[in-house]
Formats: sequence, structure tokens, C-alpha cells
Amino acid sequence: MSRLLRVELRRLWARQVTRWACVGVLALVALSGAATYLSAPPPSDQEVTAAEEAFAADQEQWEKDGEQQLADCEAAAEAEGLTAEDWGCGDMAPRIEWYLPPTQTFVPDEAQDAMLYGDPDVNAPDDATRAAVAEIQASVWSGWSGLASLDDLAVLLLLVALVVGVSFVTAEINSGSLGMWLTFEPRRQRVYWSKAVAAALGTVPLVLVGFALLVGASYAVYASYGTLGDLTGAVWLEVAAFTGRLVAAGAVLAALGVALGALLKHAAAAVGLVGVVAWACVAFAYSFGEAQRWLPTTALSAWLQGGYVFTTERCTPDADGVFECVPVDHVVTTAQGGLAVAALAVVVTLLAVLVFRRRDVG
Amino acid sequence: MAVLDGARGGGGLAIETRGLRKTYRSVRGRSVGVEGLDLQVPVGGVHGFLGPNGSGKTTTIRMLLGLVRPDRGTATIFGHEVPKRLPEVVGRVGAIVESPKFFPAFSARRNLRLLADAIDAPAGRVDAVIDEVGLTGRAKDKYKGYSLGMKQRLAIAATLLKDPDLLIFDEPTNGLDPAGIREIRQTMRGLADQGKTVLVSSHILAEVEQIADTVSIVARGRLVAAGRVADLIGAGSATGSVRLRVAPADLTIATSVLETTGLLVRREHDALLVDGAADPAAVNRTLGERGVWVRELTPLQADLESVFLGLTAHETPGGHTHKGDRTKRGGPSPEPAHAAAPAPTVEGEA
Repeated sequence: MSRLLRVELRRLWARQVTRWACVGVLALVALSGAATYLSAPPPSDQEVTAAEEAFAADQEQWEKDGEQQLADCEAAAEAEGLTAEDWGCGDMAPRIEWYLPPTQTFVPDEAQDAMLYGDPDVNAPDDATRAAVAEIQASVWSGWSGLASLDDLAVLLLLVALVVGVSFVTAEINSGSLGMWLTFEPRRQRVYWSKAVAAALGTVPLVLVGFALLVGASYAVYASYGTLGDLTGAVWLEVAAFTGRLVAAGAVLAALGVALGALLKHAAAAVGLVGVVAWACVAFAYSFGEAQRWLPTTALSAWLQGGYVFTTERCTPDADGVFECVPVDHVVTTAQGGLAVAALAVVVTLLAVLVFRRRDVG
Repeated sequence: MAVLDGARGGGGLAIETRGLRKTYRSVRGRSVGVEGLDLQVPVGGVHGFLGPNGSGKTTTIRMLLGLVRPDRGTATIFGHEVPKRLPEVVGRVGAIVESPKFFPAFSARRNLRLLADAIDAPAGRVDAVIDEVGLTGRAKDKYKGYSLGMKQRLAIAATLLKDPDLLIFDEPTNGLDPAGIREIRQTMRGLADQGKTVLVSSHILAEVEQIADTVSIVARGRLVAAGRVADLIGAGSATGSVRLRVAPADLTIATSVLETTGLLVRREHDALLVDGAADPAAVNRTLGERGVWVRELTPLQADLESVFLGLTAHETPGGHTHKGDRTKRGGPSPEPAHAAAPAPTVEGEA
């Protein structure tokens, strides 16, 4: 097995598809770096000056008629039967940060995110869920930051791993060289596992180096702008943990690609199937209700991001028989997501092994 | 089926199948690829595996190599039941099934290196076999740039990596030019002369006749004849046919004279083909006595092709094609033959 594995690893890395995948990953890194460079510069001196001038003008106005504005607000709140605080009357005085253009940082800036998006909605049914939701929303992969945008790009690395795995076996089937291979090693189960393990191990450096380069490029751009944000050791630990989960997911998806390739025999069919399933899961996720937690896309997101929150509606009839619906948050933990992805990969792989063992080779 | 002489002689059997059957399912229903095939290939020498397109040759070879699962029946290679115990014997078997198939984007050397590493072949073996088939100068070229002949030679090199005792070549000369065909033929004969067993499936009978020691002929998935080439041809020539030429003006009278003696006469351009002429001299004497002078008289030797066609003429492959053989091109049309079948080794009579 180890001899076959070594041979398959050598073949994987000698393949043009793998080399093109490396080129693709480098291109992705370059594009990501360029996009960050263009989109994330801090406000220019002119923008800051203009913002300060606008703030000064409003401040001056507030000082003139602020009390009247406050009184009007309190009257309006009272008319609505709300407190002045609930009506937002306590937050009327101009603040400079409202006028300055937002600055994207490498690490999420909680205060800025709160200003941009408001306080996150939490509709958890219990304290434990509320705590879990809050933790996920406070993650470095949430909000508006350089790291959060890398989270989306990481999915492209997983797609690359999947394609490498699929093509690794379909190319062999379609070129007919699998038949030649089996005349040298007829133990099909060994042959299958050597391919699956080679694809899984072989894509580890691709995903690992690819993501490291993405992080490095993003870091370099934000560092050059002086907008890294609150980059602590804890943030790096989160990045490291995310990278580990990403690499593991890449290995599993590469093995899943081998399995789908062995089952469907054509790369386009296998990749197309994954694409359709992923699209359907995302597009119709809400229709699945609480069963969303079992969708592959939900499970993968939960695994990568250290947990995933989705919201459903709980509708109950009132006294008049009219249904009233309230949103309810649900949490899929990292472990649950990982187990679901692994279970899917195991089931598809076992099916592929069964078919690979018995199928006639042309 | 008669046991081949090689096996009787104590050499044993390199390949033996009993009642091997394989059917294929498709949207049009079930078609039979191989139907109860009993095949025996003696150890040593070249064994021709002949049959029209769709007769089940490639399917049989695939079953021997574990690429296709038989529906029923047994097969052994050097006494090891396959595919169950194929791993124990696969190191002694080199095979090319249909056209050579390698990774197109890899060089010849890289393709062979991968195969060699899979079997832990000794260092230097790759270069040795590349040299053996004359591809040293092109070893670094990508496989997809190779000519058909070079691909075929590379496939032979791959089979030699294991230094096998049994080589299986399925239509090894398909698409090759005459020089390539001769080269492959010499290679196969050379391997057999080294003591290896070579099973070659082909529909180019003249080629097989030149190198094969024994043959098996299949049609519609069944064995119809087997034995030594010389025996099959010898049996075929027992009926006696001659081709003779007379003056053009004498063609009609010569025909009627010979027919009156009970011989079967057919015109072939400016010559006459006479079947059933056990003694060519008697034909000459009969015509001479009637004043018809023979200008040329050639006793016809039966060849493997005539034997093959005689045995398979009524076996049309229609409705019995299978995926493996459908892709093949060329090959003889099963036309009626004028030579008789070799009686001693024909299935059902042996």
C-alpha cells in the first residue's frame, strides 16, 4: 500500500491539472492581494478633513438647537408610548466617527462593525444558544475585515482540492490507463485507497500554502496601510485553527472528489453534481427549516468558521387564529459540522469502493 | 475439446478456461460476449487466439486479467484461479489489451517509471526495456506525441518490466505499417524463443500463421477449433484443390471434361479452380487424354485463413458485438471459404 501510495503521490504532483491548480491558487493570491490593495486603503487626508469639517458644522448646529431637537425627540417617543432611550434620543449628539469614512482593518473592529451594522440580532431560544451565537458572531471570521473576506476565498481552495481529486481518477478511467494499472496491481481495493489517500495527502500542501499566501498577502497590504487592527496572539491562534480545519476539509474534499470521480467516471459530471448540490443547498436552505443543520454546505461552514448560525421562523396562532411568527436562531457547532462532512465523505467513499471493486474496466 | 500437445507433453498449461461466460447488459437487452469458452494455452511458444470481430477474444483476455468479471466458469493462469488468485500470479503476466493506454501528458519514461515503482522493479529496468524496444531516443517525449507504432512498442516495454513468463497481446499490430507489423511479429517470436508463453489475439491470420505454434479459433464466444497450426492446415489441405491454366479456347472443354469425372470446377479469371482433386497428376492426365494441354497446374495449400474462414463463415457477429470489440477496425469479412475445416480438432468432433 505504501509503495502504491508513493507512486500515486508522485503521479498526482506530476499531473498538469495539479500544476494548473497551483498556478490558479497563485493567481487567486495575486488577485486577492490586488483587490485588497485597491479596496481597503484608509481614508485620505482630504477625506478626513472633509469629514472633520462636516462634523464641526453639525456640532455647531447641535450646540445651537440641540436642546430643542432633544425635546422634540422625547415628545415623539412619548407619543409612541416609548422611552426616550428606546426612541434613540440619547444618541443624537454628533460624533466624529459618524463622519469619517469607515476603514477596513485586517482584524475585525467591533466598534466599527457595531456602528456599520448595528448590534447583531440574537433570537436564541435559551441562554446556551445565546452564548454560542454571540461567540460565533464575535469570531474574527465575522464582520467587515480582511480576515473575514479570506474566509470566502478559502472555499475556492476547497473547490480546487475537489477538482484535483475528481480529475485524478477520471483522467485515468477515461484514458484507459486504469486498465493497464490493474494489470500491474489487480487488488482493486488497494488501488482505490492508494488513489484516495494520495489525493487527500497531495492536496494538503496546495491548500495549506495557498491559504498561508492569502493570509500573508492580506496581512502585507493592511500592514502597509497601518490598518492591521487589534492583532493579538489570540487572533493568530484563531487563524491557525482555521487553517488546520481548512486543510482537513481540503483533504476530505479531495478524497470525496476521488469517490465521485470513481462513481461517475467523468470529471464534468462529478464537479457539476457538486455544484448543483451546493447551489441547491444555498438557494433553498431556508425551505429545509431546522433540517438545514444537516445540509453539506451548512456543515462545511460550521466546520470552517468554528460554528454556524442559521435562523428559522417559529409560528404560533394567536387568540384570533392568526399566526404570529418569530425568528429563532439555531447553532451548528464545529464538531457537528465536521462530523457531518466526514460522514458524507465516508458514505460516498464506501459506495465508490464497492463500485470500483466490482465494475468492469474497459 | 482436445488437450493441446504442449499440455500433453508435460509442459502444462499457461492458461486454461472452463465454461467461461460473460454477458453484457445494455438498453437493447443482454448480449453474449463469451459463451462457455474452454480454452487451453500450453506453456511456451506462441499461441494464436483467433476469431472474427465480436467473437469474444478481448472479453476473454479481460476476464483473464481481472478487468471484467465472468458470469460463470473458471479460468486459471499457471494453475492459479483468476481473478481470485490473480495477485499471486500477476507478476508473471504482461499484457496489452487492445490499444496501448498510458497517461498522455507523461513521457514514456515517466509512464514506465510509475508502473515499475508499483511493482518494485529493479533500478535500471525502465531504461533497459525502453532500450529493448528501441525507444531510447524518444523516452523523454510525451506519450501523446507518439506514433501508433511507438505506442505499441512502449506497451510492449511495459509488459517486459515484470520479465513475465506469459505475455498477452491483444491485436498488437492494429494500425501499424508493414515494418511495424514485422517488428512486433519478430518481437513476439523472439520472446517465445526465450521460453516465454505468448498469447496473441488477432484477426490478421497471415501474421499469426507465421509465428504461432498453436492456435485457438473462437466464434460467437465459443471455441470452434484448437491445435497446432500445422495440424489445422494439414487437415484443411486433405480435400485437395488445384489451380490450372489452359489455352483460353480450351477453358470450356476443360471444365466439362473435369466435371464429367466428378470434380468441382470454378472459373477464376483465366484459370480454373478444381476442388476434390486428390491427385493433381490425374487431373493433368485426364485433360491430356482429351487433347487439352495444361499450361500451369498448382496444388493449393490450405492456409490458416482458409481454415479460419471455413470454421467461422457461418458465425456472423451481428447481435453479439460487445463494447470491447465494437471499437475495432478492419479484419476479414467472414466470406464462404473453399477449404474444408480441420476435422481432428474441431469442437464436437475431437
